[in-house]
Amino acid sequence: MSAEIRGGGTESRGDRGGAGGTGAARPLLAILLALALGLLLTCTVSDEPIRAFRALLSGALPDVRWSAEAGWSVRRLARFGAVIEDTISLSLLGLAMLFGLRARQFAMGADGQLFLSALAAAGVSVQLAAWPLAALPAAALAAVATGVLWGWIPGLMKARYGANEIVTTLMLNVVAIQLYRLVITHGFNDPTAGFLATPMLSSGVTLARLVPGTQITVFVLIAPLAAVLAWFLLNRSTWGYEIRAVGDSPAFAQHCGLPVRRTMALAMAIGGGFAGLAGLHLSHGLLKRLPVDLTPGIGFEGLVVALLARNDPKAVLLAAFLYAYLKAGALAMERASDVPREVVLIIQALIVLFVVCERLLPAPVERWFARCWRAGASRWRPVPPGGSHREC
Amino acid sequence: MSVDLLGWLAVAGAVFAAWLRASSPIILGALGALVSELAGVINIGIEGLMLVAAFFGVIGSAFAPVWFPGAAPWLWPLAGALLGLSAAVLLALLLGVFHLELGADLIVAGIGINLLAAGLTVFLMVTISGDKGSTAGLASLTLPTLKIPGLAAWPVLDAWLNGEGHAGHHVLIYTAFLAAVALSVLLYRTRFGLRLRAVGENHEAAVAAGLPVKRLQYVALAFSGLFAGLGGLYLSMGYLSLFQADMSAGRGFLALAAIFLGARRPLGTVGAALLFGASTVLAAQLGLLNIPSQVLYMLPPLVTLLAMGVVSERRALRERRATARAVQALATPPTPVTKEAFR
Repeated sequence: MSAEIRGGGTESRGDRGGAGGTGAARPLLAILLALALGLLLTCTVSDEPIRAFRALLSGALPDVRWSAEAGWSVRRLARFGAVIEDTISLSLLGLAMLFGLRARQFAMGADGQLFLSALAAAGVSVQLAAWPLAALPAAALAAVATGVLWGWIPGLMKARYGANEIVTTLMLNVVAIQLYRLVITHGFNDPTAGFLATPMLSSGVTLARLVPGTQITVFVLIAPLAAVLAWFLLNRSTWGYEIRAVGDSPAFAQHCGLPVRRTMALAMAIGGGFAGLAGLHLSHGLLKRLPVDLTPGIGFEGLVVALLARNDPKAVLLAAFLYAYLKAGALAMERASDVPREVVLIIQALIVLFVVCERLLPAPVERWFARCWRAGASRWRPVPPGGSHREC
Repeated sequence: MSVDLLGWLAVAGAVFAAWLRASSPIILGALGALVSELAGVINIGIEGLMLVAAFFGVIGSAFAPVWFPGAAPWLWPLAGALLGLSAAVLLALLLGVFHLELGADLIVAGIGINLLAAGLTVFLMVTISGDKGSTAGLASLTLPTLKIPGLAAWPVLDAWLNGEGHAGHHVLIYTAFLAAVALSVLLYRTRFGLRLRAVGENHEAAVAAGLPVKRLQYVALAFSGLFAGLGGLYLSMGYLSLFQADMSAGRGFLALAAIFLGARRPLGTVGAALLFGASTVLAAQLGLLNIPSQVLYMLPPLVTLLAMGVVSERRALRERRATARAVQALATPPTPVTKEAFR
């Protein structure tokens, strides 16, 4: 591991010799470190760790083959399609988390916002099934509005009561998920489905598939547009300036007379809007019918994505793709070997831990390494042939 | 009439026991969160620490008979408890390393610890027991209950003090309340506690005063791991006798809510934890009526949110009054300062 750490130091070419690096170096280093530790863990439990890890790293790719009689054939396209679909969801959720994080609000409410906005979008679409032209925009509006509202509640509680946003958002997640189940169990369900789920959305009101065999819809364009919108909001608008100022230094923002509390609430509400888009993608792009036992937890993956992107909207798509790729690989690994896919949860947690580190070695050790590095660099300077070279 | 009253009191005793069972893990977790918060290193990872302790407690007690076949049987669950507590303390110290040595953001690192605990426990559970849901296949042991003897003649008192079935309350329920007392004494009656609070109150001043700030924060985190670990052990070696995936089920976050609700004081924190426990029991009792289960599951979080709102509103009102008094005091002409004031 120390080789990697010092590798980071050489890249940054700083005297600090730190592993932090700048720009993309640190997230990449965090991923590499987490994967290395994951491999170590895999080795301890598996009989075939290399095979398992190969499946983890390459299992998500489609299988493109060429043969003389059949020509080009692409197999496992659905699996790569799943990576793209996941990338879209994760980048929208990453954008949702990012707004809170930029204002230093650790709002974890993306899960609840996703569930409720998916439900709202489905409800609106079912009600407006007779007017297909109006149904889709109305559903989108309902999803975003629900997300904004559900994100604004903890923001309001923070602004008005100083209520810790981690606690309130997690509580609101429980409320939202139970509300979702309540509505589907008692009322908004399809008795002919055979299991508890909302009525199937008719094809006129859902999003059309762009690539056959996958669930890729127009959202493959909307997700990048959302990232651009988020960048614009953050970097080119007054609200964005206020959010960044409040996040970077609340005391400074207060002294400048910025509406600190309102901005905190605003950041959480805007984040909720992006989670609402993810909800629309879920209900109208991926599932078309919402089952009662939809698994919560994807909101935390949005946090990983936002951290990997270092809270920069420009990097969110790439971070989401990396993470979705890893997830699909973990599924492939579970099928191909004896390693459970939960190893990816550990890798995910390690990525979170490493990516927020300012340095990857304690400060004294790092200084010591830096000294050694400098001393070593001078000691191993190319020596003229034959000449003796002594330097401490 | 009096028989009626006695019967009612016995039922109330059973509800009381359920209340204690629901509250104890939250109390222990909240004490862990409190000690870290007062030292200025709030531990968001309480949930994960509870999970890890619960898991390793079960694993330790299930394998202790294999590892130490010669030891006395009553030592086996203790070995499990020791393993669980050490795991929780180590993980809490890992959070300390990430925050204090590597400069990681405390909150995000705490969330990372939660994710790590959730993943690690399920991963190890699948590896060890081959089951993704629970460790029902492992013959794990539980910690004992403590029965107060000699109460058989007074059935109502027996129901209150020894719980349903008169088997006594679990040892960790007593531990939870003793720990609350012990922690308040430690924090407010010892030099160590004073220093710990000084670090949390004003980091720079503590550094300037020459306190070993980093070491104190490590100790606070270790304590938070210890308390959260006890809460987690209760879940898997008392409340239930097995480990389930994600069995802490948000109690660690309720614990965090409890310290904010309890105004960062031990008594208030325990009171808030008891309130959350009561809402859980209420939900379970309402389950007997014809109410959709989803509404019942919503009840504890809604109580938490409501309590946070009400308490903050009252706190804000008090502050406004204090400000008004201060303004009024400023408006009145000052009394001449005498030498006595400086004595």
